[in-house]
Amino acid sequence: MDISDRLGISSIEEEMEPFLAETVELIQKRRSQGRIIFDRFLRNRVAVGGAVFLIFLFLYCFAGPLIWRVDPNLTHFTKVSDTLASPTWEHPFGTDSVGRDQFARAMVGGQVSLVVGMLSMLLGIAIGTFIGALAGFYGGWLDNLLMRVTDIVLAVPLYLLLFVLSVAFSDGTPRTVILIIAVFSWTYAARLIRSEFLALKEREFVMAARTIGAGNVRLMFRHILPNALGPIIVNATLLVGTNIITESVLSYFGFGIQPPTASWGAMISAGNDFIDADPWMVFIPGLLIFATVLSFNLVGDGLRDALDPYMTER
Amino acid sequence: MVLTMLCVSMYTISNSLCLASNILILAAPEVFMGRYIIRRILQAIPLLILVSVFMFTLIHLMPGGPEQVIFNPRMTADVRAAMRIRFGLDDPIPIQYLKWLKNALTGDFGFSFANNVSVSTVLSERFSATLELFGYALLFALVIAIGLGVLSSVRQGTLTDYGLTTATYFGISMPIFLFALFGQYIFGVVLHWLPTSGMNTLGYTLSPIDALVDHLQHLILPMLVLSITFIAGWSRYMRSSMIEIVKQDYMRTARAKGVGPVAVLIQHALRNALIPLVTVVAIDFGAVAGGATITERIFAWPGMGQLFFSSLESRDYPILLAMLTLGSFFVVAFNLLADVLYGVLDPRIRYS
Repeated sequence: MDISDRLGISSIEEEMEPFLAETVELIQKRRSQGRIIFDRFLRNRVAVGGAVFLIFLFLYCFAGPLIWRVDPNLTHFTKVSDTLASPTWEHPFGTDSVGRDQFARAMVGGQVSLVVGMLSMLLGIAIGTFIGALAGFYGGWLDNLLMRVTDIVLAVPLYLLLFVLSVAFSDGTPRTVILIIAVFSWTYAARLIRSEFLALKEREFVMAARTIGAGNVRLMFRHILPNALGPIIVNATLLVGTNIITESVLSYFGFGIQPPTASWGAMISAGNDFIDADPWMVFIPGLLIFATVLSFNLVGDGLRDALDPYMTER
Repeated sequence: MVLTMLCVSMYTISNSLCLASNILILAAPEVFMGRYIIRRILQAIPLLILVSVFMFTLIHLMPGGPEQVIFNPRMTADVRAAMRIRFGLDDPIPIQYLKWLKNALTGDFGFSFANNVSVSTVLSERFSATLELFGYALLFALVIAIGLGVLSSVRQGTLTDYGLTTATYFGISMPIFLFALFGQYIFGVVLHWLPTSGMNTLGYTLSPIDALVDHLQHLILPMLVLSITFIAGWSRYMRSSMIEIVKQDYMRTARAKGVGPVAVLIQHALRNALIPLVTVVAIDFGAVAGGATITERIFAWPGMGQLFFSSLESRDYPILLAMLTLGSFFVVAFNLLADVLYGVLDPRIRYS
């Protein structure tokens, strides 16, 4: 008598069948790393809300002018009621002190603010990655020197120096403002990447790559850096928000983007004198800055949770 | 080029100073904290010197530098030459720097171009106003942040917690100047509850009590605005620190011994959770020299920030240079203080 008959089990194959089916299902459900992260991000409703807002904001700023064909710099004050107007259907965000349409100005101002925020972030992250990678990978005197430079930048009172630099070197174009903001936004990234490199360079896969003849540059940027991408992406997202705030502060005090170029900070600065008569001139660009920075922060925190490999599936 | 060379030489100096401090450590191995503090101070000195070199170079590189400001175009060549000697402008920049450093170390930052009084006089006049604003804002923020942090850790995962988290996000996502403008508009323009600028109402002679009330009314708005960022950051910190501590074994022991929930929270959890917060507060206080710049400017509070803006407009370089260097000094000093405090408050921390 077969042992399986005695136990009342027909055969091993039949016994395993439900599990086999499940395995097939699991294989079919296997997702790529990116897909897992994306799915995990999608489950964070607040972060998705931030991302959706940012998509609409980008559409508004960059595609909006194609539909809303009003010249943002066209002054129009034949009547008193044309200026400092509250929102109407004709001017959804009202008009400023010389009758320019704030809806169109918020679009081009948003372009400037977003571009300045993102380009200064890219530049800052690039500098930070380079410095952090060199310091973490080579160590020794180079690490010591680069970290002392980082200490210096961290020790200066940030806004004071930003104002002084803007007065000295800025010509009020987005280009110089981007450069000045970027000079102070690389330190955190540099420290982050240095610590990632310090940990990663001791790992086996780096040793393996070195054994098969990979050079230092290849090791740093093809093998180690991709493994340190997670924290960099999170830092980069949060940095866009910080840099948009910095730009708005500089422009608000008249040290950043100069008129007639619009930026949200400059729009608030223009509205400041008319806050009694027309608070919309301050509120609308102010809320735009606030909502944008909030969204970048939410998306950044959502990415941090999604990219954390130690976080269990929720 | 000069800057690079100075950097390299400073780097060498900093290393030899560290070496010197290591020798000191060997000499007195039993004084853990003392040797740590000494080493940190010795490391901070070259850092501060480098920062001041950087600031000095920057100020002198600025287009429309000091020379353009003090020389009046109607001056004769003789006067001009005399002034060049008087201000030492004929010296090479490194020599000028060394002279400036020598004076700065004794607290002499030169003369303000705009007011023709010594920089230290101007700074000390303004510093008290900033310290008042900053001190009250920090104190207020501390009380609120601890309260909110504890509340949201106790009610972790509830609506209260989510509400406070949302509020924190709002706090860190809004530029401080917007809080200031909205505050001015709501409480000043619409409600007429509070004055929107200055330190006192001008043009009236008030009795001492009325003057005090008037002064406090002027203080409320800038203080609230300044404290918002701190509250947002610190309450988060307090929350995570509390959540971490509630999980500890000694908390369970205390509860098992029958200590009441409130007593456990205050005597066992809060006291320990405050340790990391103290260091963060100390670091944030390091920004006092330049920290209230934006708020002071918007509320016309006559402190260091206000002075900074007016000096920037009048290109008053000695004041700008002094503020930038002192600002860095405060940042470095309070960072050091934070690390030391951490070790004092938590004896488990061992520095090597």
